[in-house]
Amino acid sequence: MDRDSIGKLFQAAVGGDAAAWKALVEGLSPLVWSVVRAHGLTEADGQEVYQTTWFRFAQHLRRIREPEKAGSWLASTARHECLKVIKATRRLAPTDDPEVLDRAGDDRTPEQSVIDAEEAAAEAERVRQVWSAFQELGENCKRLLRVLMASPPPSYQEVSAALGIAVGSIGPIRQRCLRRLRAHLAEQGIR
Amino acid sequence: MNDEHRARDPVNDEDALEDMLRHAAGIIDPVPAHLLQTAVEAYALNTLDAELAELTFDSLDQSAAVRGAGQPRMLTFLGHGLTLDLEITAGRLVGQLIPPQTAEIEILGSRQITITTDTLGRFTCEHVATGPFSLSCKADGVVITTEWLTV
Repeated sequence: MDRDSIGKLFQAAVGGDAAAWKALVEGLSPLVWSVVRAHGLTEADGQEVYQTTWFRFAQHLRRIREPEKAGSWLASTARHECLKVIKATRRLAPTDDPEVLDRAGDDRTPEQSVIDAEEAAAEAERVRQVWSAFQELGENCKRLLRVLMASPPPSYQEVSAALGIAVGSIGPIRQRCLRRLRAHLAEQGIR
Repeated sequence: MNDEHRARDPVNDEDALEDMLRHAAGIIDPVPAHLLQTAVEAYALNTLDAELAELTFDSLDQSAAVRGAGQPRMLTFLGHGLTLDLEITAGRLVGQLIPPQTAEIEILGSRQITITTDTLGRFTCEHVATGPFSLSCKADGVVITTEWLTV
């Protein structure tokens, strides 16, 4: 989402427009979810962090001074909550084993059902191949790409807030990770 | 650096690959619909007029040496001249309101619980549900509500 539309929806939501709030939630939820996924939390922990992030955003709605940066605010809040959950989990269970980004095919979405149709079988296969190649990447690449693949594409400010890395380092790392992904796919004869 | 509108060249292979990942994520790992709904419903939280109590201390922000294994999670909130100290251990919440006084405490979360402090501002709640959590404190005509947290 671009800053202008975020800013406008934000102002409308502060003014009591529930439809604007819903549009904000729909537009920025994939970013929040990507941040949670990028940190490799378990399903249950990830859902709690997602909710805490949005509850807190609603609570702070009238106190946030730079509406157009709402995406960065959400990404940063989600990141901090993820880090706390990771710390708390390690403390309770030193040998914890979070389900890192491993979710291929456990929930069938309506989209999944559609692409399962016979005429789309080839595309479904390609999606699975791309996802499985993505999961073979190293942790750093998986973390960055999982945030970058939010829809709509997050700005680098938002990515920076989501992962605590400098804006300037995102481009070069992204390029390297996507090249690696391309190489993985090429190895399997996928273009 | 102004990156708000990342230059996107449609024939650029990296952009195409990122778009393909985005497409795959939308199919394989989308935001669960029921979660999206809880965020939409959270809009109601913005109408609460209570003073927001700020988190000023969280033991999880401290170094490992301070935290230690099996230690309770300790939190301090400040708002409207009131200090609220909380200790959470495996679903058990112990709190202290300062200055000490009788107050009504409402725990907001997946289960809503209301308790009253003793005259020294102390309270205990044995079965706090896990999940997002916020606490509202009504004392002497003042209401403060803590920021939401994951416990």
